[in-house]
Amino acid sequence: MQKRHFIDIAIKWLFFGAAATSVMVLLGIFGMLLFNGVKAFAHISLAEFFFSSNWNPSAYGKPSYGILAMLTSTFLVTLGAMLLAVPLGVGAATYLAQVATEKTRLILKPVIELLAAIPSVVVGFIGIVMVGPFIARVFGLSNGLTALNGAILLAVMSLPTIITVAEDAIRSVPNSFKEASYSLGANQWTTLIKVVLPAAYSGIIAAIILGMGRAIGETMTVLMATGNALAMPRGFFDPVRTMTATIAIELGEVPYGTTHYYSLFAVGALLFLISLVVNLLAENLAGRYRYKL
Amino acid sequence: MKPKLAVRNLHLHYGTKEVLKGIDLDVPENNIVALIGPSGCGKSTLLRAMNRMHDLNPEAKVKGKILLDDDDIYAPGKDVVAVRRKIGMVFQKPNPFPKSIFDNIAYGLKIAGENNKQKLHAIVERTLRSSYLWEEVKDDLDKSALSLSGGQQQRLCIARAVAVEPEVLLMDEPCSALDPISTARIEELMLELKKQYTIVIVTHNMQQAQRVADLTAFMYFGEVIEFAPTRQLFDAPQMELTANYLSGNFG
Amino acid sequence: MSKYTHFILISWAIFAFSCNSNHRHVENLMIKGSDTEVNLALTLAETYMATDPNISIAVTGGGSGAGIAALINGKTSIANASRPMKAEEIDLAHLQGVNPVATVLGMDAIAIVVHPQCPIQNLSLQQLGAIYRGDIQNWKDLGGADEAISLYGRQSNSGTFVYFRDSIVRAEYSTQVKQMNGTAQIVEAIKHDVQGIGYVGIGYILDKNGAQSKGVKVLAISRSAQSTAYMPTELKNIDSGLYPIVRPLFQYTNGKPTGRLQLYLKYCLSPEGQALVKQNGYFPVSEIYWQQNEQALNRKHAKATLH
Repeated sequence: MQKRHFIDIAIKWLFFGAAATSVMVLLGIFGMLLFNGVKAFAHISLAEFFFSSNWNPSAYGKPSYGILAMLTSTFLVTLGAMLLAVPLGVGAATYLAQVATEKTRLILKPVIELLAAIPSVVVGFIGIVMVGPFIARVFGLSNGLTALNGAILLAVMSLPTIITVAEDAIRSVPNSFKEASYSLGANQWTTLIKVVLPAAYSGIIAAIILGMGRAIGETMTVLMATGNALAMPRGFFDPVRTMTATIAIELGEVPYGTTHYYSLFAVGALLFLISLVVNLLAENLAGRYRYKL
Repeated sequence: MKPKLAVRNLHLHYGTKEVLKGIDLDVPENNIVALIGPSGCGKSTLLRAMNRMHDLNPEAKVKGKILLDDDDIYAPGKDVVAVRRKIGMVFQKPNPFPKSIFDNIAYGLKIAGENNKQKLHAIVERTLRSSYLWEEVKDDLDKSALSLSGGQQQRLCIARAVAVEPEVLLMDEPCSALDPISTARIEELMLELKKQYTIVIVTHNMQQAQRVADLTAFMYFGEVIEFAPTRQLFDAPQMELTANYLSGNFG
Repeated sequence: MSKYTHFILISWAIFAFSCNSNHRHVENLMIKGSDTEVNLALTLAETYMATDPNISIAVTGGGSGAGIAALINGKTSIANASRPMKAEEIDLAHLQGVNPVATVLGMDAIAIVVHPQCPIQNLSLQQLGAIYRGDIQNWKDLGGADEAISLYGRQSNSGTFVYFRDSIVRAEYSTQVKQMNGTAQIVEAIKHDVQGIGYVGIGYILDKNGAQSKGVKVLAISRSAQSTAYMPTELKNIDSGLYPIVRPLFQYTNGKPTGRLQLYLKYCLSPEGQALVKQNGYFPVSEIYWQQNEQALNRKHAKATLH
């Protein structure tokens, strides 16, 4: 009896420890980013950091540290990727979960999941030699190394996540909802749109958020395929340099302890905050909708 | 009298397994017909065949006829949506949509093209009153249907089925998941509803069949063994199998 | 590029490990830095390892900046750099107790490349600077079609980026420059962009037989608007100093090299090593750097007479 009690307590603490560890790691990372990032503002004014679009820390002349252009770039590329990937991903997930026969599903599912196995360098390279030139031809541009290129590639990269998670969510909608809908005289499509998809709403939102996380955080592909020009982008047809690309390009060569070094941590901290806010927002949104249902 | 719903030599196979072996059954209008029998005897399967729910399962093959007012619902080219609109269903486990109470009831009407807000409100109120739910939920119509108790949920499902004004109501063990008080309320509701509708109910509960059903069919291994007025079937079963089942020898 | 170089690193690590089991006193050398030099360094290391079984050399790229940072942090034996170390970098190194000493491995000409359909044949250094500063934005100002110039360059961790900015642009780059993740990507992008222009190490344009790679056109460059323009694809233009964009490729060590490190660096400067430099599309060390090299290697060194 005593021994069993001890095991119970030990296991409880073991799981608590596992949960606590991941929280600590998260806090640790954020703390480290913040601690180093804050030091950047000893030499950079907050106004310059947030409202200047000029980022050139290893300048020929005076270095500048404005993140507005890269913030816009990250936003633009992510937005574009989601505009493409959400309808496509949710559509594909719905098809797999509700329409496709078991045989079709068994063929399609592994193919879609295989998309996730393509290394991001390879996707980036495809962006340079195939998608980019294709965009250039279709839209009459001199080159395709644009925000649109990044958006398309990131959409493809986030599709497996969105499809897999959304399909699970749609599939887990109880059959009884469908039967109830059919018994009230609804056809397959009405049932799908009015009952099944709304019932899977929070799962679909989770899928989109996970896909978005993939898009915001992806580095190598955008680094290779979006041109990385420092200028403020005016739209999807301009080259962009995202926050992740900036960190990846510059962190390798930056001497420790310099303003440039700390400023990259500040960018990292901001990126972290953005992901956090997006996640909280999504959770809130999904929760509120679920309550209202 | 001509039956409202007539099953004629109905066979149903799941793959190679024959689950219904030539069923004949007449359901008179404004009656409650109970289907009883041991688990796996095919009573739920028969009920689901009555509004073509088996269409959803590619494994299930139906042969024979089910006539609604002399009109075969399995006739080739028959509009299954129209069939289901005339033959509503309440399921074993309460299955309200994860929507508001109001939207649950309005759903069937909306998909049939009814968008007039006032009219929807009137119907929602009427059906909720007729399922004795109105007083309990009238201030919470925007609340999630999932916040209701099990008994309330099942009455909501009945109201939802009734809202589209079907001619026949199929109920698949509607009280099996409910407590005795909720069960009593639903039985009361059924007796009220039969004034307007024709009801077929599957039940495991022999007392329930005796309390509500006008006619009872005893099924065993995919066949209707005996079909008679409820009182007669329970008091003086003609078949030995029926008598054995009722006396609790198996099942 | 960096994934590729990691792969190289891992392969050599495996190679080094397998060597370990056969020999007792294997010395491990680490070379890191310039992407311009990485292929050359790899060839030299491979060839040298074949002659000396007791040495194992791992080569990675990452850019000159990355190599120098690694040298300062004591994480590499040799930092390859396609630009001289900056004053701040040298200060930082001294703070860490590192004393960077440079030897010149060879010469690199930077070629200016455009799409084969571009009608321009040559540019002056002034024009090139104006293009990359963003002062000239349209090909018609250079005698081409009325199309915007699409600029390609490297990223700030690249020695070529810094060298080109400090020697040719002499101001900030235009913010419109697309910063590509490696020289190969500039070449790849130019192949698809009729309005494009880019700067690349000559090693990426010429193969071992001196043949020019297809799909891009190399421009002739003149020192001024009045003088003659020369092609970087001809060795005599480099040797004679006529082609104007030539820079030394450095190998930095911590202090004067000794032991196997010294032997390896001497090998790089030997006639055999310099032949490999040439085979890889670069040029043998120019006269003016021999004295610096001899000082660094702490002995009289016979001048390689390849050219």
